[in-house]
Amino acid sequence: MNRTPFIIFGVFLTIAFSLSGLVLIPNWQFQEHQPVINPRDGSQYPAPYFGMALQGRDVYVDQGCLYCHTQQVRPKGYGGDIRRNWGNRRTVARDYMYEYPILLGTMRTGPDLANIGARQPSRDWHYLHLYNPQITSAGSIMPRFQYLFRTIKAGELAPSGAIALPPAFQSEGTHIVPTARGEQLVEYLRAQNRTFPLPEAKQ
Amino acid sequence: MFLISMLIWATALLGAVMTVWALAWAVKRGEFRNLRQGAASIFDAGEPIGRQTDFFPGAKR
Amino acid sequence: MSSLPEGPNESKLEQISRILIDDSSRVPVSLWFASSVFWLLMGSLAAMISSVKLHHPDFLGNIEWLTFGRIRPVHLDIVFFGWSSMAAVGCLLWLQARLCHVKLPWPLMLSGMAMVWNVGVCVGVMAVLAGHGSSIEYLEFPAYCAPFFAIPALAVLAANVKMYLTKESQHTYVSQWYLLAATVWLPILYVTAMFCTYFGLVQGVSQAITNWWFGHNALGLWVTPVAVATAYYLIPKVTGKPVHSYHLSLLGFWTLAIFYNWAGTHHLTGGPLPAWTITVGVVGSMMMFIPVITVAINHHMTMRGVFHMLKTSPTLRFTVFGSVMYTVASFQGSLEALRSHQEITHFTQFTIGHAHIGLYGFFSMIMFGAMYYIFPRITNNEWSSARLIKVHFWGSSIGVLAYGIGLCWAGWWQGLMMNDPSIPFLQTVAYIRPYLLMRSVSGAGMTIAHIAFAISVWRILSRHHFVMSGPTLFTTTRPAWREFVNEQEKREQAELEAQ
Repeated sequence: MNRTPFIIFGVFLTIAFSLSGLVLIPNWQFQEHQPVINPRDGSQYPAPYFGMALQGRDVYVDQGCLYCHTQQVRPKGYGGDIRRNWGNRRTVARDYMYEYPILLGTMRTGPDLANIGARQPSRDWHYLHLYNPQITSAGSIMPRFQYLFRTIKAGELAPSGAIALPPAFQSEGTHIVPTARGEQLVEYLRAQNRTFPLPEAKQ
Repeated sequence: MFLISMLIWATALLGAVMTVWALAWAVKRGEFRNLRQGAASIFDAGEPIGRQTDFFPGAKR
Repeated sequence: MSSLPEGPNESKLEQISRILIDDSSRVPVSLWFASSVFWLLMGSLAAMISSVKLHHPDFLGNIEWLTFGRIRPVHLDIVFFGWSSMAAVGCLLWLQARLCHVKLPWPLMLSGMAMVWNVGVCVGVMAVLAGHGSSIEYLEFPAYCAPFFAIPALAVLAANVKMYLTKESQHTYVSQWYLLAATVWLPILYVTAMFCTYFGLVQGVSQAITNWWFGHNALGLWVTPVAVATAYYLIPKVTGKPVHSYHLSLLGFWTLAIFYNWAGTHHLTGGPLPAWTITVGVVGSMMMFIPVITVAINHHMTMRGVFHMLKTSPTLRFTVFGSVMYTVASFQGSLEALRSHQEITHFTQFTIGHAHIGLYGFFSMIMFGAMYYIFPRITNNEWSSARLIKVHFWGSSIGVLAYGIGLCWAGWWQGLMMNDPSIPFLQTVAYIRPYLLMRSVSGAGMTIAHIAFAISVWRILSRHHFVMSGPTLFTTTRPAWREFVNEQEKREQAELEAQ
């Protein structure tokens, strides 16, 4: 008697089991998630990305930022994320209910970005950092993203929107202006803010 | 949450029962008799037990 | 037709049958293998670029399609889809044909499937370099690449099932179970994960769980069983010693099938997941000790008394190294899954070190061993140079050991520093930088080893060095060999018609 069908069935069962347990059950569990309305200003948290931040999300994905950066804050007492000021609370499943694709990340070659918008709200800081990470973070191994910027010849005056580079990094007679993609990416980064107090995140 | 934990326990119990049943079935069917033959099944007269079958190129056999 | 000298105690029928079986798999297996070696070289190139960019970020800087965030996933996808999976398919097709004592069915279709898979990898790689990658690890290739992998995976499953159903032998060898299971699991994993991801069937954090259910199971239920099955065959076959404890191997198979499935969420420890999903992953990972120990006992005890053969058999060297690394990587992985360990090593270079000890030190080394055994038998040729083989072995083994030990050490301290908020983050970066450089050096060693291997493969395939004096080959000329094979086939055909 050939045991092939029996083995195939058994093997199939093992994976059907884990698929139900790991993929289907939590997904079903998360159906009940609802956003919260902030009583002070009526804004919703979490809220889907829109506009430039949404386009910036696509830039984050196409540049592969995820391969060096995470977007998750670990609980208090587990690792040092909160003590490092990477967030005021741990992140929970509801924080990511509108994320598609979810960009949790698995490597911290660079710091966590779950709350980078709260930590670094300044556009200028982000432009400097993306143009040449050495400007803001000496010794960083993050690559330069100069192709997210355009170099234009200087007239008498610096055009609005030009980045003020420190003298050491500024070339004579040129100005640096972010491209649309650069602006979008920075808006996305500035939108990373998961500090809103969610009840399930209290520890 | 309680429902989830009940689901987990129920499936684990079901899994354990099925495993024990499958093992008993296999033993009754005689699957575990004569296992030595399975281990020897990859050998034949041309490549018998006790003979090395792979060498560096050009090496003395 | 020249007469064929017989080996000691040789039954002509068995030898003929083995030769015809090997010959039947010649074209498809050579195609899958040759493709995998090509991707091994491409993957090594992508690896070197990524590695150097980590310690010298301006290397090839400002070229958008080579930015680290693209070339690094390209490396991962090439080595997973291009090298690992294609090597696994070639190996399992040859092995299943041998174990079922049947000729490989549908050789033309299976060869075509190799080319389809190659197209998938090419298109996927170009898409990611152009910025269309999904940033979902192991699933970066866009959705339109999916049929290029799903269809060949199903074709391989069909061929595998056909061989299994038509086998005459009453005795199933343990490897056959692993190979059958691996080909069942792969299409289910891949198609489910692609559907869930690209059709938005799972929301929020569930995407991450699905991602790592796929990612971890792609390792544990696809490439691992193929490598374990291969070692279960090659170690006894080369040494001439039967597997140490056959009934243990059955236990090992089913416990792997049950527990490995659940381990995937250990990639998300500390993350925004319900605690029970992580706990389940930790339990699954720890329970993996059972199948790993059974496999370790079997492989290592089978080697008892024959360690001297490591000096004389290339296949055995690679396979035993890989089998030892399986034990090491798995023990490391099981402990790494514990929450207390993850608190330190999660997000660090430790993970990368472990990944390479597993996929390279264990899986790839066993695949190298398999290719050193299989290529001569399907091409009817001999390896051209023992020195090239030795360059390959030492480059790969020392390379991966330096790589693994270096990055695990670095990652451990990186993690401890990261958990100490009084240490500025940039200091953790400065700390790992010399280890990142060391990784490039060990990677260069592995790349040189791969080039040596590719040269050997090119020569054996192109009939560059034609010597027939291998252990399973006859001392006869090539034209006479082809004539003999044709005559045998005619004889078999006549016998069938006479019935």
